[in-house]
Amino acid sequence: MSSTQKISAVQRNNVKVVGNGTQPILFAHGYGCDQNMWRYVYPEFEENYKVILFDHVGAGHSDHNSYSKEKYDNLLGYAEDILEICEELDLKDVILISHSVSSMIAALAANLEPSRFANLIMIGPSARYINDEGYVGGFNKEDIDDLMEALDSNYLGWAANIAPVIMGNPDKPELGEELSNSFCRTNPEIAKHFARVTFLSDNRKDLKSVTVPTLVLQCSQDIIAPVEVGQYVHDNLQNSEFQILNATGHCPNLSAPEETTFAIKKYLASTTS
Amino acid sequence: MSITNKDKNPKGRITETAEELYENAPCGYVSFLTDGTIYNLNTTLLSWLNFTKEEVIYLKKFPDLFKIGGQIFFETHFFPLIRMQGFIQEINFDIVRKDRSSFPGLINVIEIPAKGLNPITYRATIFDITDRKKYEKELIAAKKKAEEDSHAKAEFLSTISHEIRTPLHAILGIGNLLSKTHLNEDQKEYAKILLLSSENLLGLVNNLLDLSKIEAQKVKLEMRDFNINNMVKMLQQTFRVKAAEKNIELLVEMDENVPQELTGDPIKLSQILTNLIGNAIKFTKTGSVSIIIEQLETEKNNSLLSFRVCDTGIGIPQDKLEAIFQEFSQASYDVNLEYGGTGLGLTISQKLLHLHHSEMKVQSIEGQGAEFSFEIWYKVNNNFSSAKEKIISNEDKEILKSSRVLVVDDNPANIYITSQFLNNWNLENESAKSGREALNMLKNKHYDLILLDLHMPKLNGYKTAKEIRALNISKQPILIALSASERGEINYKLQKAGFQDHVPKPFQPEKLLETLVYYLHNPNNIGKENFIEVEEETREEIEEIEIKNKPSETQQLKNTTFDVSKFVKMANNNPIYIDKFIKSTLDALIIYEQEFLEAVDAKSAEMLGNLIHKSTMSVFYIQADKLSILMEEVKTLIEKNVASTEVLQKKSKACSREFHKIIKGLQEIKAEEILALTD
Repeated sequence: MSSTQKISAVQRNNVKVVGNGTQPILFAHGYGCDQNMWRYVYPEFEENYKVILFDHVGAGHSDHNSYSKEKYDNLLGYAEDILEICEELDLKDVILISHSVSSMIAALAANLEPSRFANLIMIGPSARYINDEGYVGGFNKEDIDDLMEALDSNYLGWAANIAPVIMGNPDKPELGEELSNSFCRTNPEIAKHFARVTFLSDNRKDLKSVTVPTLVLQCSQDIIAPVEVGQYVHDNLQNSEFQILNATGHCPNLSAPEETTFAIKKYLASTTS
Repeated sequence: MSITNKDKNPKGRITETAEELYENAPCGYVSFLTDGTIYNLNTTLLSWLNFTKEEVIYLKKFPDLFKIGGQIFFETHFFPLIRMQGFIQEINFDIVRKDRSSFPGLINVIEIPAKGLNPITYRATIFDITDRKKYEKELIAAKKKAEEDSHAKAEFLSTISHEIRTPLHAILGIGNLLSKTHLNEDQKEYAKILLLSSENLLGLVNNLLDLSKIEAQKVKLEMRDFNINNMVKMLQQTFRVKAAEKNIELLVEMDENVPQELTGDPIKLSQILTNLIGNAIKFTKTGSVSIIIEQLETEKNNSLLSFRVCDTGIGIPQDKLEAIFQEFSQASYDVNLEYGGTGLGLTISQKLLHLHHSEMKVQSIEGQGAEFSFEIWYKVNNNFSSAKEKIISNEDKEILKSSRVLVVDDNPANIYITSQFLNNWNLENESAKSGREALNMLKNKHYDLILLDLHMPKLNGYKTAKEIRALNISKQPILIALSASERGEINYKLQKAGFQDHVPKPFQPEKLLETLVYYLHNPNNIGKENFIEVEEETREEIEEIEIKNKPSETQQLKNTTFDVSKFVKMANNNPIYIDKFIKSTLDALIIYEQEFLEAVDAKSAEMLGNLIHKSTMSVFYIQADKLSILMEEVKTLIEKNVASTEVLQKKSKACSREFHKIIKGLQEIKAEEILALTD
């Protein structure tokens, strides 16, 4: 029977809660991945914090049925999800660690409910990816179309979709997973929509109203979010610190987890003292 | 290194170093560091890229080999994936040569863990898949074309079926009339064959239409309250004659614990059962047909019912048991010759069951009979109270008495109907015909609750709601949306606009009352538990609804030309009966129109008089007053014989148009749509 019950945010976003501390630290993954991308970082916080991990709707093991083009046609839909998770788990004084596009989602969430958050930590944020008059975002509109093409022809989605068929055992899809790239699986249609929403977003106006103290972590060489872009975010936040990591690329949490963790811990120690 | 002399042992003569294997392998090899820096690559890859080793090593990064889209993909998907999984298989990137041209490459990567002083490194192979890509493109294009063709075919089938139905109704109607005139034995036989064949043809066309609708995913499950006992009795009634003609017993066994009041889609269930019972009678020569209904399981408020239709007929051969569910397939050609039928009924039933996440099962012993069975979960309607007298508490009555409601709808008929209900419940109410009017009224007066139609011209319901929420008034009203249930709306969008809940239109009075009472008690709540979940729609569809802000043609017809509310009363709200009434009226009107034209042609006031007399009841039932007046007028013109031919022609054309409007309206109308609009 088709269920018409509304599911909880915890179920919808595949929320995991670990750790021994009381202050909540919430990890929001970026575009193209799921909560697995925090695997080298979050264990470092388990001892002193209550660690909350989740998948954005459409990513990982979130409830894909909850995806609607309407709601997620704007980053605000994702921000509301974060607030719903906080509400359901009754989280207060939240430290929100966000990677990539989630940084702007975090900014939106902090604007909606500033009192919910103690700190924001943005890793590789960009307020706008596409260049604009007097603004360097790093990309042209055509570059994003090229990404769509890359998504169209990539085999990540394909493999994930056809693997159970290959195994001939749709009842046990886990048997098929061995064949495919099993992490960060996303429905190709959702992946494309999220890509558009991400790369066409412009949250420059939203930065100025963020009052929650924020750390901006910037990688040295990142084509997705170049240093100018991170600097822009820092300059436009009311209350932020800016730190450039030695790590290169867009995912320091994966390529340089130690450096990333250290920077976060140092910042948190400085704010509490 | 060629082997020229087979006599000499070639083994010792062939030497091949690992380096040669690496450099000249039939695929590209490239190794890079965590930051992407390439520290080694083979000659094959260099030759593909047109670079020298010096131009690449320690100067270029692995993602530099890709186009910009590929680079973003690498950073957001590819790299995280290798880090987490340790390997990646078969990812397709466009690889850029020195001259900026590109070729499609398929990449596999493994991560080599750090060891001693060696940091983590990655090794990738690259295959040139230009050919494969070409084939893939062809295949995708062919698939797309096939899908489009199939879609076009389905559309065509649906249009044609629709078009065929109209003349068929006329053939059937005239055939019926013909068979009732004085005919000799031969003519009687011919008329009978004519009738039977056109009935079969109509059945086929209706089935085709159903099937094409299901395939185009235009058929959705409705949720409405129904009484299963009534439905089964109705079916028994329908088939009694047919079974008696063949001297077959028609038995119904309903288990005692089957809950009677259910919520689900009674129309689809009845369609499936009609089909199975019809088949069972058709294929049974002696014995019985039984309908057995049992409750298998219960879970919270839901009940799993099992339906079985068993017969003692010819049965189905084992090897045909699967094929009978396929389109246009019957167990054998002979079956078709002997029993007729379209071979679509079971396909349709099976598809309707799939909508219910269920499946039809069949067991049979050839020559002894067959048993078709299926299971469906239904919600048990516990708070059922005889629909007319909903019991409401004194407290509810009080709050209804002391509240004021504003009904906003651009359709005066809808306002009228809604306000009739509100008056019955002693709920003070006023109305506005547009969003703008409502906003003006709100500025001067407080309303506790507003029932807002979503699809209005100019300022639609969403926009009106937003503007209401933006009004600077001392107390915000409760906002409830009213919209056609078939299309549904997105909760999210409703909530965004500031609505607290949604009642599908045409509404069921008890549901509306329940919603009103709930919110008047809890004015600040949003979405009580039955906030109706509706399917997701794409943005385009929503926009389409918003553009289509005029009431549909059918609705306009309903308001001006005829009204089926009498049917609803006569049918005691039973959609099956209503459909039957509509169909029989439709058939009659098609014939009446013919007769009208004949009478006008013959300028016979007598023929027209007969027609008016004959059609009185049909016209009365559908309240087609305009048609009745027009027919009378034409009759007077003919009688007095004073009017010019043009005047008569003009009048009769107007009358003919009225006939057309009603016929078209009746063809498009569905019991489900009108059920609660009228009372």
